[in-house]
Amino acid sequence: MIDTENLTRKFGGLTAVEDLTLHVDEGEVFGFLGPNAAGKTTTVRMLCCLIAKTSGKAWVGGLEVEREEDCLKIRKMVGLLPENVGLYDSLSAYRNLDFYGRLYEVPSEKRRENIESLLRLMGLWERRDDAVGTFSKGTKQKIAIARALIHDPKVLFLDEPTANLDPEAAKTVRDFILELKKQKRTIFLNTHNLDEADRLCDRIGILKTKLLTVGAPRSLETDVHGRKTVVHLERVSDLVLASVRKLGVVKNVRVSENRLILDVNSPERDNPDVVRAIVSAGGSVQYVTELRSTLEDVYLKLIREAEAK
Amino acid sequence: MRLWKSWIVATKDFSVFRKNKYVFYSLVAMPLLLGVVLPAALLLSLPAAQVNLANAAFLVNLSTMYFVVMAAVLPTVIASYSFVGEKIEKSLEPLLATPTTDGELLLGKSLAALVPCVGATYVGAAIFVTLVDAWSYANLGIFLLPNMDWSLIMGLVVPLACILSVESNVIISSRVNDVRAAQQLGSFVVLPLILVLILAPTIEFTSISTLALIISGMLSVADIALFYLSKATFKREEILTKWK
Repeated sequence: MIDTENLTRKFGGLTAVEDLTLHVDEGEVFGFLGPNAAGKTTTVRMLCCLIAKTSGKAWVGGLEVEREEDCLKIRKMVGLLPENVGLYDSLSAYRNLDFYGRLYEVPSEKRRENIESLLRLMGLWERRDDAVGTFSKGTKQKIAIARALIHDPKVLFLDEPTANLDPEAAKTVRDFILELKKQKRTIFLNTHNLDEADRLCDRIGILKTKLLTVGAPRSLETDVHGRKTVVHLERVSDLVLASVRKLGVVKNVRVSENRLILDVNSPERDNPDVVRAIVSAGGSVQYVTELRSTLEDVYLKLIREAEAK
Repeated sequence: MRLWKSWIVATKDFSVFRKNKYVFYSLVAMPLLLGVVLPAALLLSLPAAQVNLANAAFLVNLSTMYFVVMAAVLPTVIASYSFVGEKIEKSLEPLLATPTTDGELLLGKSLAALVPCVGATYVGAAIFVTLVDAWSYANLGIFLLPNMDWSLIMGLVVPLACILSVESNVIISSRVNDVRAAQQLGSFVVLPLILVLILAPTIEFTSISTLALIISGMLSVADIALFYLSKATFKREEILTKWK
């Protein structure tokens, strides 16, 4: 649904996005993680045909992000929730949505239906005639998401949807995104909230001007740091340590108190050999667990490496 | 260019203006001020000895130019809300993300400022004509307005002056972040035009109609030049990355 090939954007001497190549499937929730000024918003703006690329190529729904005719079709196909909600405070919730529905060329009957169903879904139908300026931040964010959905877009771009929201409002918005995920919409989610990305996204890309990595949250957690087995022993003797080090499947061994922390390729395949070797060397195994690195570990490692370069 | 898209943008702005007391009262107060107070001040205060057709016609023609001034000044209030207001509400990005062209958006925003300003000017002018004619019929036995001079000024000079002011505001809005700053700069830009309009009827001229046509020609040239300048300013990328 979304493809980019060496997509680059420069602002004068500053490179905001460099050689971005990625693919997002239809119905996928793709999270774009990165610190401030990593190029996330610039990427979304390029994909929504709001700003031009400097070089490279990009396609949304098979249409190339370049020509004005295609850009009009792309804009009709996508829904955008920008970082700032940008609603008209003096107008009612209904009037705000109706205005955008008309600009997105939604027929009047369908527009009424969509507005009603979206506002009901968010529990705001009874407040449809209230001025948006009277709503809380979280409620405004929900209306802005409804605005992005008013024309039933194939692709939804959400730029920091929970930034600056209190925990309760953020949860409401996340629950709504989960609801959209169930509807199999293609969602491109810009965020620097790691927990949010972990919970909502099928795949995650980490960006710091360049794309540092991309993958499912679980595979990123294992791919970057590898999988680790933790063997809890009664006591770690030199004999046990030597026997484990001899094993070809163990890439690295670390001792922490009465635990052995081992880097292995496949715990499912290699752990039985490890346990056998420890027992043969006279070790007394209490239990075996897996040490998982978190998405935060992965993120920080990659970002620090990128900054060091 | 799909005009109906521009009209959607314009009607949304009309709704926003209706809720904005400052804009709403400006649109009501200025026409009333010029439509009612101006004829009262100029004609009813005319000493009985000086009431004649020549004096009355001179005063009426002089007064008509004030409606052109109004048409040039009102957009500094309305257009600043139309463009800078979107910046303040940070609503430009979702608006630019819709399937509309830059030209459609620019036209929509311009119409949003143009239509109420020209409309308010015409309402004020209609009140003015009614009161002037009531006075002239009672005192001179004729209806002074509308005449050819008045029609040319209202039909040509008023909309052209209004367009000039709106286009100036598009350009100003791209550089300021504050409604008041936009209004002040807008007033500054239309100041030379106002001076020309106020002084023009006092200059000895063959006829007001000729003067109106000359001013219209000058305004047309300025409007076309500013149209290209405002079109160059109102581009998605410029708005998102450079509008401060």
